[in-house]
Amino acid sequence: MPESTIPLSGRMIRHPLPPRDSQGMPTPREPALRTTGLRKAFGDHLAVDDIHLTVPAGSFYGLVGPNGAGKTTTLAMAVGLLRPDAGSAEIFGVDVWRDTVQAKGLIGVLPDGNAMPERLTGREVLTYLGLLRGLQPAVVAERTDELLQILELDSAERTLVIEYSTGMRKKIGLAVALLHAPRLLVLDEPFEAVDPVSAATIRTILRRFAANGGSVIISSHVMALVEQVCDHVGVISDGHVVAAGPLADVRGAGTLEDAFVDLVGARAGGTEGLAWLTSS
Amino acid sequence: MAHLLLTPGPAALAQHMIRMRLAIMRNSLRGENAANLYTGISLGVLLAFGTIAVAVLWPAYLPLTLAAWFSGWIFGPILFGGGSETLRPEYFSMLPATPGRIAAALLAGAFAGPAPAVNLIALLSLPVYGWRFGPAGVLIGLGAAVTTLITMVMISRVIVALIGLFVRSRATASAVGIAIGTAIALCSNGWAPFVALGGTDTAAWSQVLVRALPSGWGVAAIEAPWPLTLAILLAGAGVIALLLAAWAVLLSRRVVSAARGGMPTRRGAPRPFPAAGGARITAAKELRAWWRDLVRIQLLALAFSYAIVTPLLLVTIDSWIMVPFMGLIAIVMAAASSANLYGADGTALWLTLVTPGAERADVRGRQLAWLLVVGPVAVVLSLAGTLVSGQAWAWPWVLGLLPALLGGGAGIIVLLAVTSLVPGTDPHKRGGNPLSTGADETAETSLAWLVLVAVPAIALPAAGAILLNPWAGIVTGVLTGVLSAWGLGKIAYRRLESHGIDLLNLMKHGPAPQADKPTTTDLPIQHRIGVTISYLIAWLPLFPQGLAPMVMKIVGIEDRGWFLALHLPPIWQWPTIIFMIALGLLMYGYAILIPMRLSSSSSATTS
Repeated sequence: MPESTIPLSGRMIRHPLPPRDSQGMPTPREPALRTTGLRKAFGDHLAVDDIHLTVPAGSFYGLVGPNGAGKTTTLAMAVGLLRPDAGSAEIFGVDVWRDTVQAKGLIGVLPDGNAMPERLTGREVLTYLGLLRGLQPAVVAERTDELLQILELDSAERTLVIEYSTGMRKKIGLAVALLHAPRLLVLDEPFEAVDPVSAATIRTILRRFAANGGSVIISSHVMALVEQVCDHVGVISDGHVVAAGPLADVRGAGTLEDAFVDLVGARAGGTEGLAWLTSS
Repeated sequence: MAHLLLTPGPAALAQHMIRMRLAIMRNSLRGENAANLYTGISLGVLLAFGTIAVAVLWPAYLPLTLAAWFSGWIFGPILFGGGSETLRPEYFSMLPATPGRIAAALLAGAFAGPAPAVNLIALLSLPVYGWRFGPAGVLIGLGAAVTTLITMVMISRVIVALIGLFVRSRATASAVGIAIGTAIALCSNGWAPFVALGGTDTAAWSQVLVRALPSGWGVAAIEAPWPLTLAILLAGAGVIALLLAAWAVLLSRRVVSAARGGMPTRRGAPRPFPAAGGARITAAKELRAWWRDLVRIQLLALAFSYAIVTPLLLVTIDSWIMVPFMGLIAIVMAAASSANLYGADGTALWLTLVTPGAERADVRGRQLAWLLVVGPVAVVLSLAGTLVSGQAWAWPWVLGLLPALLGGGAGIIVLLAVTSLVPGTDPHKRGGNPLSTGADETAETSLAWLVLVAVPAIALPAAGAILLNPWAGIVTGVLTGVLSAWGLGKIAYRRLESHGIDLLNLMKHGPAPQADKPTTTDLPIQHRIGVTISYLIAWLPLFPQGLAPMVMKIVGIEDRGWFLALHLPPIWQWPTIIFMIALGLLMYGYAILIPMRLSSSSSATTS
């Protein structure tokens, strides 16, 4: 794939093979995700421009930015669902665009707004995808039971996914991402439209996942939430990374929200005009 | 102080709707859409003037011709999704106005489009027809043209609304499919029962029938004595009022109905998945989708009912020649209606793409499921049809072509699904019409046409072998079928592996703008129309009027059916057959080569 090699000083640089441990798995010293110079244009609009991100293994990483900043586009390119115009992405040292199959085995993904196998029930979706990934039927059955129960989807046994509410769709998407016990979770807006109780459940699950050595990347524009769960933060604005690093470094002395408003140069509007909007 | 706002009056509201509709149309008139629209309008105007010509030259057929327009209004929106619901009632559900007033305004908006204008030209055939009856006839014809147009558009809207509200079960979805399948069958072989029942004899009931349809009221009013004329016109106005009232009620119910379209009603606990992997697990998923998706159920019902009704219509004139081939027709039709498998599922493709190595299982599973859904029906129809019809000569044809077509269909549909995907709306975001996938209907229809040509073409080697030796034909048929299903499927999953992401993003973001790649859109308009017309009718000379009578002459079947060549004196039969085949090939060649020539010449200039 020509997209995965970047021409540097006139010749193609091939990345060395990632270091492996005795089982042939990449060693944990590699970052969970590293993107190099990711770029994507839609027509004339440059959605993502030269994004360099490093997500350390074992971290809980929050990708924040205003609407339309390029978060979803970046994550889609990082997990292999959108072909970048330039740049590369590595998962634990495995090039997403060169060793696609191996990279896919390492990650669990929750993209934003994509369809599911709509005419299956939640249990059927998990069973189908588990078996398709080659998990043992008994393992699939056990994990499906646990996931449905813990995400409180087990009461909707006969409901097809097409009938799910937005929050339920998020939860079944999360279950799909967790099912094969990946090493890295990439979740686009996992808390959007989820009720507070379910959100607390999801937070707990993700914290446990991270505590047990897993790595998590979430995108969000709810600063308070990112501040609460993440230990690393990346701020994207207008297709660029404007700040990245450990949470404490990025937010400095104030709150993350203050730092964010400073970084993206935004100004909260809403004070001018609208004089007619009065009920007196 | 807060003002109590009053909604504008009926006339102003209607005016706003018309403006909004035109604005939406103007904004969507870009590239492919605009070219499709102009092609459609040109075709429509051509047909409209043809209708006026019928009124002048063959007045006896005018009611029948108008009935064809009427059927277009009924089946167009069912076949082609939401029935141009540019202005959806949902947009206006929060307006403080009565449902009746909103319905009337929406109706005004519905007329602000090209289809009603084209139809009005066609209905000008009524005053032309009335001219035979003097000035009063012209006047009545003009009045009837307007009321007929309103009635047709209203009936079309009411049917769309009814489907949106009531197609909620497999039974109703199949019923709609069967109705459409039968109607298409009537379009191709409807002349047979017509002939059997008395032809153009004005006293025959068929003539009464086409006048009794709403499309024929104008003709009836012109022909009738004065008091009856008045009664018919008044009745027409009354029907419009009733339809408007019914539509208003349906619209207000639709807006508050929470049901999301496209799904059958509740069932028992689902059967557990088989503990398998790979293609078998995907096939299990696909079989559930076939059973739980009303769009798929409706399309299957359409395919099967067309395959059964078309041959049976010929039985009314005691011709059993097509009956053995019911199963084969069913395969081709079912393949044509399944050509957009990936487009129909929408962005759910991402799951296949993030699962390591799932592309192969996905393609093979879809093939397997399609064979399981279509195969048994096709086999039963073929065996039963050949046995019951008593056409013993048909056995080698049925047995040889059956495996070739089944395998060819299973191969072609997955290949086209990944190479010619037509993006639709994701299933959970679809609107009020449960039978609409939100895909571009013109593109979906041309994909179906492609299948209708490609699948029979795969069976050609088997057909040739049958002519030489029946047994060789059966062996060739089985071999072609297995090879096509295996080989085309393999190309399909390889393609899915290399281009799956592009397909996903095509469905998510629409087609990427490619400046250096010209499409048929860039053809000069006269070529574009020519290409469209060629695609639409080239099959007629090539298959039913060329290849079919050729095979029959070679095999020595006496049944002349509707094959023009076989009705001519023997000396003209072969020249006619050759002319028809040449004409069909020429039209296909034109339709395929002209756009190719354009793209090569323009890529030469841009590079």
